[in-house]
Amino acid sequence: MNLSFELKKRFYDNIQTYTIILAMLAVWILFTILTNGFYLSPQNFSNLFRQMTVTSFLATGMVLVIVTGNIDLSVGKLAGFVSVVVAYFQANVWNTIFPGQPIVAAALSVGIGLLVGALFGVLQGYIISYMRVPAFIVTLGGMFVLRGGILIITQGKTIPANQPGFDQIAQGYLSPAVGWVAALLVVALLFLNMVRSRARKAQYGFEVSNLYMDILGTLFFSALVIVYVVVVNFYNGVQVPVLLLAVTAVIMAYVSNNTRFGRYAYAIGGNREAARLSGINIKRNIFLVFVLMGFLCGVAGIVLASYVGYGTVAAGEGYELDAIAACILGGTSTLGGQGTIFGAMIGGLIMASLTNGLQMLNVPAAYQYVVKGAVLILAVFADVYFKKNR
Amino acid sequence: MADDIILDIRNVTKTFPGVVALSDVSIQIHHGKIHGLCGENGAGKSTLMKILSGVYPYGSYKGTIFYENRELKLEDRAIRQAIEEGIAIVYQELTLVPSMTVGENIFLGKEPVENGVINWDKLYADTRQILEKYKLDVPPNAVVKTLGVGKMQMVEIAKALSENARILILDEPTSALSESEIDKLMEILETLKEHGVTCIYITHKLEEFFRITDSVTILRDGKTVATNPTSELNHETLVRHMVGREMKERFPKNSRKPGEVIFKVENLVATDPNEPSRKVLDGVNFDLRQGEILGIAGLMGSGRTELVTTIFGEYGNIISGTITMDNKTLNIKSAHDAMLHGISLVPEDRKGQGLVLMQPILRNISLANLDRFAGFFRIDQDAELAAANQQGKNLSIKAANLQDRVDSLSGGNQQKVVIAKWLLTNPQILIMDDPTRGVDVGAKFEIYKLMNELAENGVSIIMISSELEEVIGMSDRIMVMHNGRSGGVLETQGVTQEKIMAIATGIEA
Repeated sequence: MNLSFELKKRFYDNIQTYTIILAMLAVWILFTILTNGFYLSPQNFSNLFRQMTVTSFLATGMVLVIVTGNIDLSVGKLAGFVSVVVAYFQANVWNTIFPGQPIVAAALSVGIGLLVGALFGVLQGYIISYMRVPAFIVTLGGMFVLRGGILIITQGKTIPANQPGFDQIAQGYLSPAVGWVAALLVVALLFLNMVRSRARKAQYGFEVSNLYMDILGTLFFSALVIVYVVVVNFYNGVQVPVLLLAVTAVIMAYVSNNTRFGRYAYAIGGNREAARLSGINIKRNIFLVFVLMGFLCGVAGIVLASYVGYGTVAAGEGYELDAIAACILGGTSTLGGQGTIFGAMIGGLIMASLTNGLQMLNVPAAYQYVVKGAVLILAVFADVYFKKNR
Repeated sequence: MADDIILDIRNVTKTFPGVVALSDVSIQIHHGKIHGLCGENGAGKSTLMKILSGVYPYGSYKGTIFYENRELKLEDRAIRQAIEEGIAIVYQELTLVPSMTVGENIFLGKEPVENGVINWDKLYADTRQILEKYKLDVPPNAVVKTLGVGKMQMVEIAKALSENARILILDEPTSALSESEIDKLMEILETLKEHGVTCIYITHKLEEFFRITDSVTILRDGKTVATNPTSELNHETLVRHMVGREMKERFPKNSRKPGEVIFKVENLVATDPNEPSRKVLDGVNFDLRQGEILGIAGLMGSGRTELVTTIFGEYGNIISGTITMDNKTLNIKSAHDAMLHGISLVPEDRKGQGLVLMQPILRNISLANLDRFAGFFRIDQDAELAAANQQGKNLSIKAANLQDRVDSLSGGNQQKVVIAKWLLTNPQILIMDDPTRGVDVGAKFEIYKLMNELAENGVSIIMISSELEEVIGMSDRIMVMHNGRSGGVLETQGVTQEKIMAIATGIEA
């Protein structure tokens, strides 16, 4: 295959991805101009990525939920509930059992957060897939239940969650040197993966794609990683929550493409009947999708508690809508069957970029909502329009 | 222009990016006649019909169309305009709203309104009138989803007729109909002819052209090959025009010798899972030998699809009776169980049950087989692709790239993808529910050849078919079903279509 043909093919195969990346760059350029360049300063750049993390953890799970043709409205409140549970245990429990051991307390806090999230996922998933109550209703009910749960635990007050160690989860930074090591490790893995994939393809006797194209692609992603590390190192270094999110997103992308569980999720959403007749256990698969979603709510809730340093009554309010919006901006079909983790991450970044930029411009909160809502609708309209006129 | 020409299609060319779907097509259709349109999948029939019905509006194609001596220009609201002009189309895929009644469906979008409120009495009275006029045996207030496919088709036709259509386009109307329903349809078409309605009739069942049409136009690769009065055509010339080559044998020869009985169904009784009081199977008996093709014939609703989906563990609740394989009693609870026992099912409805249309060909082929390529953590995508490539080659699936979406393929190739998926499971018993429905002649022949090869290699095949010729042409033995019962298993040697019909309709046991 010649180079230009392959370039074209790759371009058309991924046109939706490029469109959304272009949209993101457009948002960045616009705000950079409006803020006289301060928008893309290392400090704001660093904050921007940190701000996207909590809802983006939710979005990584939400993609699979929507792909199976379901929806989860409870994720914001579940993350909020986890954050107040974690705060409660830090403020009232761990210090009485393990006084003076903040690292143990932090580790146990993480454990209890993940457990609570996953258990709630088990409960909702069971009701949805085995008791056949529609996900919309179960998670709507779940949202109310969790809102009550948050009030019960907080008693309407704010609970501090700022143990040393625990605060590092969302507020920590890798030192520049460690950041560089991590970046180089990622680059090395990218190249290793490229070489291994080519070797395997050759072994099976497939037409191996153009070497220069592969190198070019790998170099491009390596460059992105390195540029990112260079920029954030100008501020405090690589942000711990962003690193956690990146790892989570890579794992989730892998799960969705390279495991039976992920493949089945797409098949179920694409054609439930065909999936059923292909011997796929639909109930179990959907159950597991909700368990995973709950677990990720646990992760998000822990990061949230660490991020704000408190468990509050309003914790997680409206995050489910941000997470759903991120998925949809990223090309996830509300009809099920289609959507990528990568797209949802870019979608999450666009949502965070809008919030951040509008705040910088001192746009009142009310108008921020108006702009975000309009952008969401416009993005989906553009997608529909271009698909129709392709 | 002769006065009796109602539709004059002149030099119509329609291109899509990279594809010429229609190239300089000209057809004249005479008033009050039934005009057949014949061609393989991808020959351009559907594209032409979409132009006539306004799906591709005026200006999106080149050439001119004269309708009743004036140029037909379907523009802005092209689809509605076509209906108002009296050009109605009955699509191959049903377009009814399942949860609405027959009457509501027929008058959907044109409900009789008085003071802003629907006049239900008039709606149902008018529905009844239409149904009676054309002798359609369907209750006007029945909810559509409770009807069988055959009746739904009739509602679809009634809906088109209710528009006072002067040209009725029927796109493969019989692909889901039983023989008796086809007879009924033919009667309806004769009635329409008496009323002066012109029909354009598209089908893959060639004998229907000889049965009902006055003339036939053959399309191949987007070009008009020939238009002839039906009386001047015969089966061979039609096939030759369609595929551009002689095709003497419709069914490939075979020389297989089936082995021992490996699978047995005895006195199987099962009920509808959604309606436990209704028996869908009421005493089915048959056995299947190794390397045999067993045909199952029967009318729509005779329980043939219910039988195979019940065996496959995905439909009926078994009340009594036994299913044995290799002398062991089976208790199959799901498709997964069935696959573990070496039983695979190519389902009846390719798009609804066989394929995930939005996904690549590759993923469709591997869907039922991921266990073979995957541990808990990883799917070996290279092994997956290699296996799919192999299947693609074996079945000669015509696709540029297995990463292309499966819905970019023609119907015949889509069906091959479904078959490939199930062959990859290495079945001992392959159940095929109407495997050539909506598939063109060339692909049909390839599927037949494949079935023979599989049987010669020891795979046992159960084939359901709506076409009696196909059942007789392909099967070693034939089981005929009627009212959920098996009406005996016949040796194909010496069996006639009349004999099968007699059992299927309950005249003979």
